[in-house]
Amino acid sequence: MRLAEALQIVGEVAEDRNLSVPLLCGSTPVHLETFVKAHLALRFPGVGIDVGTGLYGDLEGNLQRAGEDGGDGGIAVIEWSDLDQRLGFRASAGWRLETLDDIVAQVEEKCRRVETRLIELAKKMPLAVAAPSLGLPPMMYLPPWQTSQCESRLNVILAEFLQRIGEHGGIKLVSSARLATTSPSNSRHDVKMDLTAGFPYTLTHANALAEAGVQCLYPSPPKRGVITDLDQTLWRGVLGDAGVDGVSWSLDGGSQAHALYQQVLSSLADSGVLVAIASKNDPELVEAALQRSDILLHPSQAFPIEASWGVKSEAVGRILEAWNIGPDSVVFVDDSPMELAEVSEKYPGIECLRFPSADPSAIVALLWQLRARFGKNEVLEEDRLRLNSIRAAGAPELENATEASADFLARLQAKVTIEPSGTDQRAFELVNKTNQFNLNGVRYTEAEWKSLGRRPGAFLATVSYEDRFGPLGRIAVLGGYREGDVCCVDIWVMSCRAFSRQIEYQSMRQLFEKTGASEIRFRFKPTDRNGPLQKFFALFLDSGWSGQGELRLRSEDFQRLCPSLFHEVCDKWTMPWKS
Amino acid sequence: MDNAMEKLNRCFALVFPKLNPSEYATANAQRISAWDSIAHLTLLTLIGEEFGRDVDFEEFEGATSYQALAQALQPQEAFTGSQIKA
Repeated sequence: MRLAEALQIVGEVAEDRNLSVPLLCGSTPVHLETFVKAHLALRFPGVGIDVGTGLYGDLEGNLQRAGEDGGDGGIAVIEWSDLDQRLGFRASAGWRLETLDDIVAQVEEKCRRVETRLIELAKKMPLAVAAPSLGLPPMMYLPPWQTSQCESRLNVILAEFLQRIGEHGGIKLVSSARLATTSPSNSRHDVKMDLTAGFPYTLTHANALAEAGVQCLYPSPPKRGVITDLDQTLWRGVLGDAGVDGVSWSLDGGSQAHALYQQVLSSLADSGVLVAIASKNDPELVEAALQRSDILLHPSQAFPIEASWGVKSEAVGRILEAWNIGPDSVVFVDDSPMELAEVSEKYPGIECLRFPSADPSAIVALLWQLRARFGKNEVLEEDRLRLNSIRAAGAPELENATEASADFLARLQAKVTIEPSGTDQRAFELVNKTNQFNLNGVRYTEAEWKSLGRRPGAFLATVSYEDRFGPLGRIAVLGGYREGDVCCVDIWVMSCRAFSRQIEYQSMRQLFEKTGASEIRFRFKPTDRNGPLQKFFALFLDSGWSGQGELRLRSEDFQRLCPSLFHEVCDKWTMPWKS
Repeated sequence: MDNAMEKLNRCFALVFPKLNPSEYATANAQRISAWDSIAHLTLLTLIGEEFGRDVDFEEFEGATSYQALAQALQPQEAFTGSQIKA
């Protein structure tokens, strides 16, 4: 992004301040501030953005003041000169031999102090921290191609500091390795600007640093599933021609890049990403090839496996149906531009990526692209359970549950556990990615999410489910607040994996029981995607309901219309005002 | 309007979005409250980017009006006399 483009974007940002992000650095922020604001504007279109800045040369003080002023999330950009001014280009305190030990000691002490400030601040807002991206000045007596003891000690102190702060849940570290791919180290420092104005970065580096900081603080919501082709994609060769033993993914076979692809898919599956196969092939041959002992994507990690001679988009359609997720949550990988175009035409929302089978460097670039699309902060128990529950849902017995009889539901041996939730990661993740059963489609930043629990009379609960087909884990979140004798619900989401099990009825029953409310007010907003929830509400509301605004449901109406429920309820939920 | 003038006007539009284009020709740091040191730095950097040249901050230090900037850019850029005098 050029500065002109950034200024253009910033000029179009709404003036009301909905998102406040302090930029925490010790240099003059000028263009870095502009680029940060522009990248935030691209990440959150239509949202008013305020990027606060602090005082020149006072990183520590800026961190402290940001804690006092508040914000939705902060981006801290640290340079060596923030850890000791003598490591910058604007100081003239000398680089004599006897001062080097003192510089190391000062950096160590300053790292401790900055660490304390960062951890205090991270309790109030999520932080992205960028480690020094500019090199050390020419202060060592050794020739530049030799690393000095002083430099090694400084690097160790920095690495240990970053490790310590990185262990703190609220702090994310900007990847220096990733930054190096977008901003080479020899084109980062603008010495003239540094000396003239105290702004040390070239425009290209300021842009790269801003983009990295924003992406690190507010990563795009991860995609949920990847559908892969087989021939010339998962493996090298055409199965129908080469046979089961003729396709390869190995160094010996000259097809190691396909092995790397399989390893990434396997790792994605382990982290809860849905992986499926769509291939124009003989199903029996595919089954045999996937049973090879050297396969790196184990067949149990992929579901469904669609192998047929039919149209590719139809196979993709069946996979989407089995997963019960929208096309815009899915990436489709195929080596054939024709297949990609055909799928893209049918499902414009799917991100179609070509597998560049003849170019190992491009394949590695594709693997990084996949990591970027599916990156997440942590892998939860629910991630591990997801594929199993989808497989189970595909079992003929459960597949009929949509129109299930009471007898069938009674035989599920279902157990629902409702428990109070902190503002934990799983609940946060569920609320921000669920579309179909979502009360109002509102997405939260981490800071907003943390502040929900501080509302007077607030409650937040997660709902877990298991039956004889296995556990689904935490699949729903309910949240709101009590206002006098009225219970208001403004958060209610449920994973689509949990449909057809009457969990929504049980959740509502528990809500009435626990709040003791005679009426619940739902802060409902129809969206393009929350049809299932609209359908559910329609069952309870008279024909006068317009489908808009606050919905009020009286306990007596709910009791009258609620079907018989067969769940065993494990009750761990106590409302905060009753505890 | 020549290309250089268009570029300079574009820089002014981005750095001073609230300024009416008809006021560019008479714009100077004394008259425009938004024209502070940060805005001046941004303007010079943007001019460097737009004109594809390395702007010497010392050379442009006193160029705190539209006219002065146009004059300072003149040796290398094709401004016409009437446009500079506006």
